[in-house]
Amino acid sequence: MKRPAPKASRRAQNPASDAGPRQKKKDQTRARILRVALDLFSSRGFYRTTTRQISRKAGIAEGTLFNYFATKEDLALYFFEQELEKLIQWFEREKPLRKAPLVEKLFAIVHRHLEQISPFEDFVGAVYLRALQPASKLHPISLDSQSLNLRYLRFIREVLAEAENEGEIPPVGDLGAWAFALFHVGIVSFWLHDASPGKERTLALLDRSLKVARTILRRGGDWNW
Amino acid sequence: MSRLGASLTGSYLAYQFQNLILGPDEAEARKKMFQKKSSRRIRHELEELKGPVMKLGQILSMQGQALPPEVIEELAHLQARAPAMHPTLARAQFKGVLGRNPEEIFQSFEPEAFAAASLGQVHRAITRKGERVVVKIQYPAIRSAIENDFKLFRSATLPGQFSGHFPAEILDEMQTGFLRETDYQQEARNIEFFREELAPLAYMRLPKVFPEYSGDRVLTMSEVEGRSLDIFLKTNPSPQLRNLFGHHLVELYHFELRCVAAIHADPHPGNYLFCSDGTIGLVDFGCVKYFSPGFREIVQCFINRVWENGESESERMLRLLFGRKASLANPKARDMLTAAIELFQLIFPARRPGNTKVNFGDPEIITKMSQIFRKSLQSKLTNPEFVFASRAELGTYNLLHALRAKVDTADAKDRVDRFVEGCLVQLPNQPEKAGK
Repeated sequence: MKRPAPKASRRAQNPASDAGPRQKKKDQTRARILRVALDLFSSRGFYRTTTRQISRKAGIAEGTLFNYFATKEDLALYFFEQELEKLIQWFEREKPLRKAPLVEKLFAIVHRHLEQISPFEDFVGAVYLRALQPASKLHPISLDSQSLNLRYLRFIREVLAEAENEGEIPPVGDLGAWAFALFHVGIVSFWLHDASPGKERTLALLDRSLKVARTILRRGGDWNW
Repeated sequence: MSRLGASLTGSYLAYQFQNLILGPDEAEARKKMFQKKSSRRIRHELEELKGPVMKLGQILSMQGQALPPEVIEELAHLQARAPAMHPTLARAQFKGVLGRNPEEIFQSFEPEAFAAASLGQVHRAITRKGERVVVKIQYPAIRSAIENDFKLFRSATLPGQFSGHFPAEILDEMQTGFLRETDYQQEARNIEFFREELAPLAYMRLPKVFPEYSGDRVLTMSEVEGRSLDIFLKTNPSPQLRNLFGHHLVELYHFELRCVAAIHADPHPGNYLFCSDGTIGLVDFGCVKYFSPGFREIVQCFINRVWENGESESERMLRLLFGRKASLANPKARDMLTAAIELFQLIFPARRPGNTKVNFGDPEIITKMSQIFRKSLQSKLTNPEFVFASRAELGTYNLLHALRAKVDTADAKDRVDRFVEGCLVQLPNQPEKAGK
């Protein structure tokens, strides 16, 4: 049975909203819970960490924790929303990158994302496995992950649209964003299993596949479905 | 795309190997099928693939007369350029190796590369202390790419291995050499070694390594000044200057063979930087060959012209060259030895007194050398130690040819002789005036 989803998703879209002190405190607590949870996940593992351990370490009652995050999956979802938000804000700040060719922009986005989540590699690995279960809130087509997915797709769509307008690639439409999302997920799972020094095989795969994709797109055809 | 690349270069390699193995007539017929357009496509594909195939392209392009001119022209582009890593990728790889971004380490760092190396690219930077340096960054995962390519390469050359035209030892030597090139820490050691060993050659300038900013895939060195050969030649240098550089190059080659017992084996023109003051900058020590005692003995045989002392000495030399089984009774072996001696005598024509000036502008030397390479593959007489040594030799003569240098080779040899005998501590910048 699905519990009602916590409000994390909407909140994540506007983390710096000009809410009152009450809301501010709530956001702080939410961030603190995530921090201690991530600590516990990395020391004990995602599956073996209990909500009781999280609440105790965060210095709140278990019931209070439940108000913030109904399940560990909600916590994971919140984690990814936060990371995505950081990623988008970073991209908006990176002025020189905005002028770079599309291949480099997309490379930078995925690479930055990997850098952000690299301190939590084990946790991300566990969550990725979990997300494969159809009943999971983390599943790509679950209702709970919708706002996260939409936020991501809109972001990528914008980056692609810019390149379309510049004539760098033919119109790829929404399909392009979907395809890139799939690719991004694929790269993260490759990265999770990459044992090469400095994870350089992921860098090579990312670079080569983006260049191949560009070549295919430029070769023509109608990609705008 | 990469599949397309693999199939294209696959057939290209097959063509090259056929060409080396086939006789000249059949090869001629096939050469005609080769259009400039296709060679350009091949270059693009080679650039995409990077790694060993590109290296192979470089080696082939140095074969001078062995290949049709339009192919050489295209392949020559490989020597200086390769597709760049974009700044974000270069930074990511840098951070993956040194743990910090370049701008956290250097006072300034140029995000765009100024030169491409086959296994990576080179950026300019300034250290916090204000030293001008170049930072060589390797393309990610090139090592495993080379290992994979060699697997492919080995299966592709199976017929050649079976027939004995392309022995496995040669492939081993090539693979070891190329893989060694991916280890920048080894390259740093090579630079230190050569800095010390080449110190007596006052006209050679070598980079200095900054170990604190280097790792196995990032190498930071001091910047070496000078112009690459093609740019240098465009400045219309005087014959005197060209001859002086020619003299230095012959001397350098012999100094490496006889005094250092190791050779800078990546002689493509981009690695030699010419300065108008007559000095030469030498960069890129990724491919260095350290010689075995056996090889040094071969060199000594040539220097002492042992073949003049009768058949038994020639026999000894032949065994040193091609192994215990080689014998003068084998006409092919005798042929090879004669050709090698002829080549040597082309470069060191006679003893003084007499005209000992060699005109390297004459293509004869390079033609001769290519013929010997071809012959050695055709007659299955090879020595793995020659793979990189001959690459260096042919590269040196190609440079000399491009310089159209006239060199008194006997004088260059004498200078090295005197150094070996300990009469000279340092080889001065100016050679003794010829004919004095």
